[in-house]
Amino acid sequence: MVFHANMLPFFIITGIIGGAYLGFVFRQSNRSLINGMMLGGAAGLVGPWLFMTPLRSCTFETERTNTDFLLGLFFFFFGAALVIWLVQYISLFFHPDIKMRPSLIGKQDSRGVFRSNFLVPFLLLLPTLIILALFLYYPAYETFRLATFRYRLGAPRTPFKCVDNFTELLTADYGEIMIITLTLSALIVIFALIISLAIAYLAYQPVKGASIYRTLLIWPYAISPPVAGIIFFVMFDPVAGVIDHLTTTFLNTGIPAWSESPNFARFIIVAASVWKVLGYNILFYIAGLQTIPKDLIEAAAIDGANGWQRFRNVVIPLLSPITFFLIITNLTYAFFETYGTIDYLTRGGPTGATTTAIYNIMITAKQDKWLGRAAAQSVVLFVIVIGITVWQFRTSGRQVNYGA
Amino acid sequence: MRKLFLMLILALLVMVIPAAAQDDEATDIVVWIAFTDGRLDWARERAAEFNELYPEYNVIIEGYGSYNEAFDATLLAAEQGNPPAITHFFEAATQEARDAVTDSGEPLFKSVEAAIAGRTEINGVPVILDDVISAAANYYTLDGEFTSMPWNTSSAIMFTNMDILEAAGIEEIPATWQELEAACEVIMAMESAPEACITWPNHSWFFEQSMAQQGADLANNGNGREARATEVFINSDAAVAYLDWWKRMYDNGYYVYTGVVRDWTGTYNAFIAQQVAFLIYSSSDTTLITNDSQEAGFTAVASFMPHNGEVEYVGNLIGGATLWLNNGLDEETETGALMFMNWFSNPQNAADWHKFTGYVPITNAAIELLEEEGWYEENPNSRVASAQLEAAQPSSATAGALIGNFVAIRDVITSAVEEILLNDVDVVEALNAANEEANQLLSDYNELYGE
Amino acid sequence: MEQAIPQTKVQLTNSNGILPKRWGVHVLLWIACFLVGFPLLYAILVSTQTNAEVTNFKLTFGTSFEQNLKAVMVNRNLGDYMLNSTLQAIIITVGKTVLSLLAGLAFVYFRFPGKWIVFGFVLITLMMPTEIMVIALFRLMSELGWGQLPSLTVPFLASATGAFLFRQHFANLPTELSEAAQLDGANPLQFLFMVLIPLSWNTIGALAVIQFVYVWNMYLWPQLLQADVVQVGLGALLNFDGSLSYGPMMMGAVVASIPPVIVFLLLQRQFMNGFAISAEK
Repeated sequence: MVFHANMLPFFIITGIIGGAYLGFVFRQSNRSLINGMMLGGAAGLVGPWLFMTPLRSCTFETERTNTDFLLGLFFFFFGAALVIWLVQYISLFFHPDIKMRPSLIGKQDSRGVFRSNFLVPFLLLLPTLIILALFLYYPAYETFRLATFRYRLGAPRTPFKCVDNFTELLTADYGEIMIITLTLSALIVIFALIISLAIAYLAYQPVKGASIYRTLLIWPYAISPPVAGIIFFVMFDPVAGVIDHLTTTFLNTGIPAWSESPNFARFIIVAASVWKVLGYNILFYIAGLQTIPKDLIEAAAIDGANGWQRFRNVVIPLLSPITFFLIITNLTYAFFETYGTIDYLTRGGPTGATTTAIYNIMITAKQDKWLGRAAAQSVVLFVIVIGITVWQFRTSGRQVNYGA
Repeated sequence: MRKLFLMLILALLVMVIPAAAQDDEATDIVVWIAFTDGRLDWARERAAEFNELYPEYNVIIEGYGSYNEAFDATLLAAEQGNPPAITHFFEAATQEARDAVTDSGEPLFKSVEAAIAGRTEINGVPVILDDVISAAANYYTLDGEFTSMPWNTSSAIMFTNMDILEAAGIEEIPATWQELEAACEVIMAMESAPEACITWPNHSWFFEQSMAQQGADLANNGNGREARATEVFINSDAAVAYLDWWKRMYDNGYYVYTGVVRDWTGTYNAFIAQQVAFLIYSSSDTTLITNDSQEAGFTAVASFMPHNGEVEYVGNLIGGATLWLNNGLDEETETGALMFMNWFSNPQNAADWHKFTGYVPITNAAIELLEEEGWYEENPNSRVASAQLEAAQPSSATAGALIGNFVAIRDVITSAVEEILLNDVDVVEALNAANEEANQLLSDYNELYGE
Repeated sequence: MEQAIPQTKVQLTNSNGILPKRWGVHVLLWIACFLVGFPLLYAILVSTQTNAEVTNFKLTFGTSFEQNLKAVMVNRNLGDYMLNSTLQAIIITVGKTVLSLLAGLAFVYFRFPGKWIVFGFVLITLMMPTEIMVIALFRLMSELGWGQLPSLTVPFLASATGAFLFRQHFANLPTELSEAAQLDGANPLQFLFMVLIPLSWNTIGALAVIQFVYVWNMYLWPQLLQADVVQVGLGALLNFDGSLSYGPMMMGAVVASIPPVIVFLLLQRQFMNGFAISAEK
């Protein structure tokens, strides 16, 4: 890493904050204060180092603009905060008091009874570790590094551009893309959760043939986002599609062409995405409903709560861990998986109305061939995803993330 | 449970393994063509003939949805080390195709003329480069040689619905913008007026054509032909004149915009449905338009693309695409690829291609062949594009611009047109903004590719 | 222990109250099933029709089933694409299951120095969706030059999800199992194959369904690779002979959905059980 003198105070700050914070946390939970301080201090230095290395510390050069400098500081402190938090979080899994361990992926870690050469567990883990290092860690780092270059597919030169690829994103155009991304994602998550909970509550009722109903309700899980895109493309065709026929027959009015109505295009994307994710959500809600102790509901009934009150005051709160888990997975789905639906339905149009962040990354990379710029956009999404995951880890759902 | 798994896996493997087995003797020559319609089928038929004539080669044609897609796909495939032997690139990508390098820094493509190295025939297939019509030669000859092999070449021409014209009592097909405007006034005043007078796709190509007609370069350094272009002139007087006229036509209700950029289908359908009297279009669909109009019960006549009557008419330029030869091929594949390229546009095939589509016959020999056959007498529409190209005065303007990042710059131009037509942005203001954006794109490009 | 989904035989008298009586629930469920199934039913209908039949909206099967099937499978090679996707799905499913079993074994039945670092190393990857790093991954695969199938499979052979799924499963098995196995002198791999795997079929089944569906439906990465797999191949149907052909489009959508739906239905029980919320201890 290139070191500039003006970075020193910041390293001191992150080092001290990290040491103090983890020392405090360890002390609070009856662990070694010194261990905590050392871990935290190291994390506070490693985090910024991780982010400044690919940047070559360029934002700390004196001739940089204020925007560049602030962006560099953001990465600096983001790196520190991320690594400090990760060390603190991971250390929790090995907390001496098992009750303190996060429940995210099960509390128990060890049935350590196999006494063998200490190399054996490493050999067992080696393939996994190699693949994760080579195909996740390295590309993650490389994405950040590429984002610092003006890199174009097929070009003979790739000049280093510091944070230019990022500052370029501070435009109204990119802001609009982020707003579209967040709006569509929010709509998809909200509708997918409400509809699936309603259907799951129905399917949870003890009626004859319940398992057949369940199968008939959750199979869209196996449908792919591109297929959902194709089917809704035809369904919502303004001339030949079935929806137009239905509205013409029953409401006496046809549907607009999505290619001329940005909001209608967005609506179709949301509808197709909700439909595709419905099965997954219903599955989890049914599983969640089945873990609700019946006596709780009965007790509420004895207390005189009517059906809606029981649903509202007993069932929904008890399902909140599942709901939370589904919010996270559906958000990730809306961020990334909808790419296939959009690509086969509206292709980001009309006039960019359904161009989400991930879609724009692919346009920038494939069509415009600006790989460096696409990488910078990827880093922006990465920061958001890290934020969501940290939120998920902290709140610690009761479930393994089954995403991939 | 376990049995079910194993059976599933076994069954699937049994299905898969034979498919993976290879049986190759002939040298494969993969050709990516940026068509998915009948033109792709035509190319496949020719490939089959070629494979029969030269069984030591196996030409495999794969189709792509658009020029852009084929271009992007080739770069991505080259990056992965498995590009096709031949790729079909459009004219706007010429500069970028010349500049592109692989990971190792080698040029992605090899100049076709250099690869032919003076041979007049390759394994019995005559080389056609010397005979290529001059408009295409002017466009594609760079640094004195053909970097790629011309194939589908067209020009922008106008089609007129003669029935509407006669009904309006107009005797001559308008040749200039001003005549066209006057004709539209008459046509739209008729009782049985069509929905609009004229349409054409909002494609930057027509903008470029109108620049050439007025003798205006689109870029500096002789339209990028003397040296690498470093500046574009999207806001030149010629451009302002064109957009002023276009905007007036639109505001008067003469020009109808389909609402979609590069809308070839929509504009085509409007003309065939007789919703408009005129269509400015690519000559590539001359045959189709002539036939479809007959089927729809009217006569369509082709003519030169109307030009600005207030300045001297210099000529039109070509459009279309060429076949590029990949650089890293082994000798046998390269020989086969060169044979196929030359055979593909031999007089017989070039004439057939012209008849089938309306692309201009790419060699003089093909034109002669068509004349001998009496094709032009029977199909006067088909002669127009070639005649228009022959009429052009050789100059940098009519040779066409060579610009880096041209594909993205074209998008800037089409958006500027939309701003002007749909959002009522002032012509000069919109073109100035577009010019700035385009120059930024160009300097971004030159920073990476320039000398 | 992971609980199987409790059999809903517990009869609650009017368990809901906000819902109508039994037959009403049936009616509502029918409506829900119909609405959820509607897009696919419509797709199946259209897949048999000609364009004219689609435009004129017929609710019966059309006359173009064979032509559409041929157009999709022969003219647009969807059959080949599906074979490639199958191969890809099998390799990833089998590979990831094996690697995840090994990782789960190491995490649960061994103590070793630096375990928390290794654990953290795996855990952090939960934060790293592949979609975000496709550009760097694309460059990496180009540089490695392994070709299409390895590029489609190798990067996905390991995942934190799989490793933690088995870790959680093993951690919930009785301790006596491994003690007994050690007394019998079994080595860790023997223990895995003789004891753990037979107790893990539900989890393996669940992971298999998830993986098969995930791989089969993968789009963004294969699209960037221009790989000949099914979701990418569907793209050729959107612009069929220069214009829209609804029948072949829907035929492609339906045919491409058959394998994952079949796998899902076959392994549905394992899937549901694997997904069942495990009780915390």
